Order: sequence, then structure tokens, then C-alpha cells
Amino acid sequence: MHLKLFVLSASSVVLWLTPLSALDKTLGIHKALQGVSLTAAIACAVTAGNIARELSEQGEIEEIKARAITADVVDEIATSAYISQQQRQQEAEQILATDEEIDEQEAELNSIKESLELLLNQSSNDSGELAVVNLSTRQREQIELILQCHAKGISGKNKILKEVWGVSAGSSQAYRNAKAEYEYLMPFIKEEEEGG
Amino acid sequence: MRVIHLTNYFVAGCIASSFLGWVASLHPMAFRAVLCLLATIAIAWGLSWLLDFSLSKLLKISVADLQALLISGLAMLLIGLGVFLCT
Repeated sequence: MHLKLFVLSASSVVLWLTPLSALDKTLGIHKALQGVSLTAAIACAVTAGNIARELSEQGEIEEIKARAITADVVDEIATSAYISQQQRQQEAEQILATDEEIDEQEAELNSIKESLELLLNQSSNDSGELAVVNLSTRQREQIELILQCHAKGISGKNKILKEVWGVSAGSSQAYRNAKAEYEYLMPFIKEEEEGG
Repeated sequence: MRVIHLTNYFVAGCIASSFLGWVASLHPMAFRAVLCLLATIAIAWGLSWLLDFSLSKLLKISVADLQALLISGLAMLLIGLGVFLCT
């Protein structure tokens, strides 16, 4: 395409200047030759101009493509850099969160350890007291109520179960549960009565 | 490539001016006709300079481009006719 363009450009100039300057004016066909060569020169020049315009447009398109590709590559690099930075940040945050969790667990373990040490000390001082310590608040309240019943002179098991647990004698599940609980609390009640 | 493209069109314009000269040299009537054509071109050229802003809007090109076109048109005419007359 380039060769064609240069040949057409050169031939247009040659066809323009040569017949005007170098042609023998005594010839009969002098004018006709001049006219033909000028017409051909115009055609060559216009064709060469069109080819050059097409090539120029193609070059511009190629340039735009190259710029777009470069911009894409730059954008891709920037995106991947951003993503890797975000990943690193997330990993760092996860590591920090894990450290915090470990600290919390350690603190919890320390508190459990301290309470166990305290319990161990208490048990070494007084083994009976440990047993009372292990009872729940509800059970302690029930012991208190049973002791109050004993103080009032209520000593029958069924009466105590009725007073404290609110269940009547029978074969119901509630009665059986209350009875089992009462029997479980009996040693502690005796201990309290002996101690008090 | 853009320079080659513009140069080729410029050369084509110059050759077209020489062609006009050649047509004028064929016959006295053709000479008058070409003179009339040149006079018309000259009037249009002058009016284009006067109405450059309106013309640039009409042709949707910048004023600088229009002025460049007018100057290069004059140059093409002068070179083409000059080459024809001098040879």
C-alpha cells in the first residue's frame, strides 16, 4: 500500500510537470498530450491522497487501540494491586482478631484457675463448707425452708414436701422428683442442725 | 501519513489549476470562460474571508481550518497557474 502511494504521488508530479516543460510544442498532439497527462496526474494525486487518508485513519485507529490496551493493562495492574492489598489487610485483621480471642480465652482460663484455686483452699480448710458451697441458691433456700419447718415442729416427710415443694403424696413425677431432692438435701440439713 | 495525504491533495489542486490554464490556452472562448470561473472563485474566496465565522459554523469546521483551506486554495491556484505559465 505504501509503495502504491509513493508511486502514485511521484507519477502525479511527473505527469504534471513533464508534458508542460519537456514536450515538443511543434507536435500536433502537443495540447492533447498535455491534457491527457494533466488529467492522469490529477487522478493519480487524488488516488494517492485517498490512500494516504485511509492509511492515516488506520494509523489513528491503531494508536487508539494501543492506548486502550495500555490503559487496560494499567487498570488491571492497579486492580490486582488493590485486591492484593485488601487481602493482606484482611489477613492482618484476622490475625489480630485471633490474638484477641486467644487473650480472652486466656483471661477466662485464668479466672477459672483462680476460682479453682480458691475452692481448693476452701476445701483444704473445711471439707463440709465446700459441700455447702457447691449447692445452688435454690437448694440453699429449700434447706432454709426445711429448717424453718423443723423449727415449727413439722417433721413428717410428706408435710415438708407439701410445705416446701408444694406437692402432695402420691405417685406423680413431681412428687418423686421432690422426694429425691429432699433425700439428697437431708445430709446437709442434718449438718446444718448439728452445726447451728 | 497525514502530511502525505494533505500534500497529495495539495498537488492535485495545483495540477487542477494547471489544467484550468491548459483549458484556457485551447481557445479564446475557453480563455474567457476560465477567466469568468477565476473571477467567480476570487469573489467566493473574498466572501469566504468576510463570512468566515458563519461559514465555519455551516461547514462545521473551526475558523482556523477554514482560513487554512482558503490560503492553501490560493496557493494551489497560484502555483498551478504559475507552473503552467512559466513552462
